[in-house]
Amino acid sequence: MEPTLLLNASMLITMTTLIVPMLLPLLSQKFKNTPTTITRTIKTAFMISLVPMSLFMYSGMESIISHWEWKFIMNFKIPFSLKMDQYSMMFFPIALFVTWSILQFATWYMASEPYITKFFSYLLMFLIAMLTLTIANNMFLLFIGWEGVGIMSFLLIGWWQGRAEANTAALQAILYNRIGDIGLILSMAWLASHMNSWEIQQNFSTTQTPTLPLLGLILAATGKSAQFGLHPWLPAAMEGPTPVSALLHSSTMVVAGIFLLIRTHPMLTNNQTALSLCLCLGALSTLFAATCALTQNDIKKIIAFSTSSQLGLMMTTIGLNLPQLAFFHISTHAFFKAMLFLCSGSIIHNLNGEQDIRKMGGLQKPLPTTTSCLTIGNLALMGTPFLAGFYSKDLIIENLNTSYLNTWALLLTLLATMFTATYSLRMTLLVQTGYPRTLTISSMNENNPTITSPITRLALGSIMAGLLITSYITPVKTPPMTMPTLTKTAAITITILGIILALELATMTHTLTQPKQNTYLNFSSTLGYFNPLAHRLSSTKLLNNGQKIASHLIDLSWYKKMGPEGLADLQLMATKTSTIIHTGLIKTYLGTFALSILIILSTQTQN
Amino acid sequence: SEMSKDLLPGPYPRTPEERAAAAKKYNMRVEDYEPYPDDGFGYGDYPKLPDKSLHERDPWYQWDQPDMRHNWGEPMHWDFDMYIRNRVDTSPTPVPWHTMRKHFLVFLSTMLIMFGLGEIYPSYRPVGPKQYPFNDLYLEKGGDPNKEPPVVTHYEI
Repeated sequence: MEPTLLLNASMLITMTTLIVPMLLPLLSQKFKNTPTTITRTIKTAFMISLVPMSLFMYSGMESIISHWEWKFIMNFKIPFSLKMDQYSMMFFPIALFVTWSILQFATWYMASEPYITKFFSYLLMFLIAMLTLTIANNMFLLFIGWEGVGIMSFLLIGWWQGRAEANTAALQAILYNRIGDIGLILSMAWLASHMNSWEIQQNFSTTQTPTLPLLGLILAATGKSAQFGLHPWLPAAMEGPTPVSALLHSSTMVVAGIFLLIRTHPMLTNNQTALSLCLCLGALSTLFAATCALTQNDIKKIIAFSTSSQLGLMMTTIGLNLPQLAFFHISTHAFFKAMLFLCSGSIIHNLNGEQDIRKMGGLQKPLPTTTSCLTIGNLALMGTPFLAGFYSKDLIIENLNTSYLNTWALLLTLLATMFTATYSLRMTLLVQTGYPRTLTISSMNENNPTITSPITRLALGSIMAGLLITSYITPVKTPPMTMPTLTKTAAITITILGIILALELATMTHTLTQPKQNTYLNFSSTLGYFNPLAHRLSSTKLLNNGQKIASHLIDLSWYKKMGPEGLADLQLMATKTSTIIHTGLIKTYLGTFALSILIILSTQTQN
Repeated sequence: SEMSKDLLPGPYPRTPEERAAAAKKYNMRVEDYEPYPDDGFGYGDYPKLPDKSLHERDPWYQWDQPDMRHNWGEPMHWDFDMYIRNRVDTSPTPVPWHTMRKHFLVFLSTMLIMFGLGEIYPSYRPVGPKQYPFNDLYLEKGGDPNKEPPVVTHYEI
């Protein structure tokens, strides 16, 4: 069969397989979705999406297909075009694999949920939007996917909508993403007016691309991928159920911002200012998130901050002009991060809702599979040699060390790598080892294959994915081949230093007594004071001023000052000045007559 | 059915009797009742309650309306929609506001200054000018074979 046809057809069949459970219940009353059918759909779609991926790995074939054009204005084309290139063909199987595992896990985790089918349909809709974003060849389709994932994120974070904290978190996600969307729409407007096209292929220039659209794209990525400045929504998004955190806020949605920058990297390549901005922003995000993760006590928040930190690392890679490596890190990160979230979900459910790691401990005997996979996930995150994270993370650090870049960005990223090891080990030690600090009566078991098989599948992925991707995908840019031994082993040395730091701190908490608060602990545990400062200040000012403008300014000014009272005030002012003359004396009146006659005479005799 | 005329908000209370009547209308004590100043903005006799958000009210008390943390008949703040649990939180922070602001600005300014320094002094692998063998290719570049070539020192990085 002709390979191009096979490629295009299989990708389209994958998408169709996913859209079918959304459409069929609308068409007939007899067809109802169940969580099992949706999970099976995703599994089928995963199997089908392996075909184009293997075709790409074998022959390097990419394609762009264009179906239909929205004839909106005559000289601006908006085709419905899909790009099957390295990134989308690799992302499809990975996203579908991770989603399949998460949905299988969610059949157990959300089993007591009355609206479980709606939950699964929401997750499916999210996945469709995300894959649309991935496969889009123009900014219009990408924007549809972008907004789609934003909306589904809102609905899923606020799933338990009776909870005020969940509603606040969902609102935070929407608002911060909206600020990023301003940047995206700005870039789209600029592209439409200057390049007259929203196609990815047509938006490049040999000379330096102007910085304005790139700033817009970077703002969009800051919002969606929770870089420093627009980051608070990501830890707050942990209010949603754990499958939501695993799918959206670790593997797929938050990488949409980075994916946008990967797609538009020809524009970024020749603008060094934008690249340095990406580098510095990424370095700051990664360090800030790693610092905040050091003192968190909620297991999901620690994993959320580690996601934020890895996103900063991906942004740094973009700043080094290495989009393929950033995508590689996205792929490997999806595996172990989703696995970490699933393990934490298993632990939380088994401890009957306990999320505080200070109340966990000694879980290795009751939950062997979960804790082993948690360890594997943490090792992969730290970049242990030859697990998945090593192939992408070590390459990034090597490229950082051997490039011409901002020194402080380099130092921050290395420091963040060290902190990654520290907080991962802290989490592992407090959750799995030591004396159990859980409640004494807890029926913990992992006898259910719906828990163990997704987690073990993702563990297999965390171990093998890095090796597989490196073996089969040729790098586009020359990786650094030679470097001094210290540079080569920098990542692993720093990780070991971080592990030593964590072990030291762990023994310190047992032996020495520390004061409850000091400056650095306060800074780290309240997430850098960013949340209260930004949220309280901006919302109070906006709401107060909005109230004043709406009710006081508009009501007072338009209905009173512009109307009767304003007129009355003017009249009053005029009469107050003129009543001085109304004295009642003949002399005054004769004076005014004389004055007016003089004025008339003087003006008449002028001409 | 509609509220009767004496239950609706009215004009600014000028005499102490009007103040007492207004306080009774709003289910408040006369000592607590304080209307907004009469400056033409249309508040009337509505009480000026302290600007505290609903986050500060006890989450464990059995309120009549648990989501609003509000009891029946309690006077609501003029800007109550700003102080609900989805919006502004005025609860006291563990660290005072000015300390938070100072520490955050110190952190941010340090980062920005260090990034600026990092741009001025970037990190790169050590480089040197290109070195050629045979006395900098003296003969290949057309040098005189009879003359002594200039001395060239090479360095090793």
